[in-house]
Amino acid sequence: MKWRYAYFPGCSAKGTCRELDLSTHAVADLFDVELKELENPGCTGAREFRAVSEQLHLTANGRILALAEREGCDLVAVCDTCLLNLTETNRRLKADRAARDAVNRALASEGLAFKGEREVKHFLWVMTEDLGEERLKERVVRPLRGLKVAPFYGCHIQRPSTVYGAGAAGEAPALDRLCRLLGGEVVEYPGASKCCGFHVVSVEERIAVRMSGGHLSNAKSNGAQCIVTPCPLCHTVFDAYQPSIEREFRSKYEVPVLHVSQLAGLAFGLSAAAVALSRHVVGCESVLAHIGYGAAQAAASVR
Amino acid sequence: MSPSSKQTTEPDNIRVRIYRFDPETDREPRYESYEVPRTPRMRIMDVLDYIHEIKEVDFGYRWLCGTKKCGTCAVNVNGSPKLACWEEAEQEMTIEPLSNLPLVRDLVTSRDPFEAFLAKLSPLLVRRRDYPGFPEPLSEQIMAPTVHLRDCIQCLACQSACPVLQQPDSGFAGPALLVALSELAQDPRDEADRARLADEVAQVFKCVSCYECERVCPTEIPIVSEAIQPLKRLVYRRGEAAAARRAHAFLDVVKARGRAEAAPIALKTKGISLNALRLALRLMRRGKLSLVDVFPKRPSPGMEAMRKTYQSDGDAK
Repeated sequence: MKWRYAYFPGCSAKGTCRELDLSTHAVADLFDVELKELENPGCTGAREFRAVSEQLHLTANGRILALAEREGCDLVAVCDTCLLNLTETNRRLKADRAARDAVNRALASEGLAFKGEREVKHFLWVMTEDLGEERLKERVVRPLRGLKVAPFYGCHIQRPSTVYGAGAAGEAPALDRLCRLLGGEVVEYPGASKCCGFHVVSVEERIAVRMSGGHLSNAKSNGAQCIVTPCPLCHTVFDAYQPSIEREFRSKYEVPVLHVSQLAGLAFGLSAAAVALSRHVVGCESVLAHIGYGAAQAAASVR
Repeated sequence: MSPSSKQTTEPDNIRVRIYRFDPETDREPRYESYEVPRTPRMRIMDVLDYIHEIKEVDFGYRWLCGTKKCGTCAVNVNGSPKLACWEEAEQEMTIEPLSNLPLVRDLVTSRDPFEAFLAKLSPLLVRRRDYPGFPEPLSEQIMAPTVHLRDCIQCLACQSACPVLQQPDSGFAGPALLVALSELAQDPRDEADRARLADEVAQVFKCVSCYECERVCPTEIPIVSEAIQPLKRLVYRRGEAAAARRAHAFLDVVKARGRAEAAPIALKTKGISLNALRLALRLMRRGKLSLVDVFPKRPSPGMEAMRKTYQSDGDAK
């Protein structure tokens, strides 16, 4: 069976978190999943387009949805904030005729139209729901050997309940189930479903650093050997800003932060180079050592 | 009756731990445990009343209306703020006072800082011109944007759940105050400079958009989308604020380069700082940022089409 999706990587996966794009493709290839990257899709607007105007927010996201519809397949995102912008817009434009007409008037100049025929998914859900846990389990060739993984979900994959439903928080999150089936041990700590603070980092960095630092410190003191997250914005705060967190809290954490596709890729037998593990601020050698990735191999591919 | 005295052992009993602390007499907080017989449709407040009235424990808790109107009975239950008069009692409960507010005693927190901040936001309609007098005709359409905001009972559950308020001296007003401000800001009769209040006093751009406030709101107000976003738009339209400059820079970079890119946005909004350079070097060392990222890109036909579509919306300049 072959799966086909329109793929919207978003700015992080094409910029500061290119390892997310590379590892997502690497995992997709293992399962014969085709990710058709949209050409010139623009931007979902993070939290900025909404602050400019609601119409810009709807048009920019409606445009990406229309491009996916033209490909004739569901849309996959790998960033929590992109996922929320797209999912929210998809629901709104499907239900609100006036909003849909306004967006379609703007899209007409490009010969595009939003029809409301497709769904939006995170690549994590493509793995756990579309491929299914059985298929994933069969593919685990390098189990994580009880690696203590602290999941960090990010806000925009679970809230608000008006978009994702109120029940979503109650069931064991997909990320926990995935970590377990890969052979990892899920670390329980206060903070897994809290906010990393990314969206305030450019307003007042110290607030974001203190927020994420609290979660990082909790994860570490509960035994976490790494953090795994489905969101590159959370990744940026925990990885790229970890030296700032360490300065603010006057402690050493050195907790590697992995994208979901990187952790899964390693368990599925991909090399550290294939999931681009060298592109992190906090080195991932300790994770590789724990899962028994060849020591010489590890040294060669991480540096 | 001391908490260690004879306890019932009915399996259906509700087991509850209550936070006890009187800053005037106690050296440190403690928890007291009780078992309360479950009755049908028992609320959190019924459990508190039982401990107070039947077990005769003298502890501080607060309520007034008991019907989700007055907003005085919110407490943290198992770590999440709940309205005691409205939510069903859980089998095991740890009940604590709301977070991010000064403690008076046990489960009672002080509303003083909230009221003082509210006073700084001109919490009444400001009218400078003459108006036809009372009652004034108001159409449903005019009041529609604020209809949900007027459900706020100021129980402060959202203030308790807000991660930004958890940071000392954040300067952020918090969701409940932004709801109050937004209700006035979106009222066509109001003539105060609400954009300035939102930006400089309430510091609305410190909201992290985590939606924790919406998760805990007992009256289900879409706080982020109907209170906070409209305030941000107001600040953006006024154009002077740093946050408005950032949103503008973000849009410019997307139009010029096809997507958002951290380095040029930071350069346009903040210029170069030592802190930014330190971060940039850290990212370059690991190949997360390259010098190419700050130079202009040659526009492609696809980017041109995207730009036109974005521009076709009147207010998205």
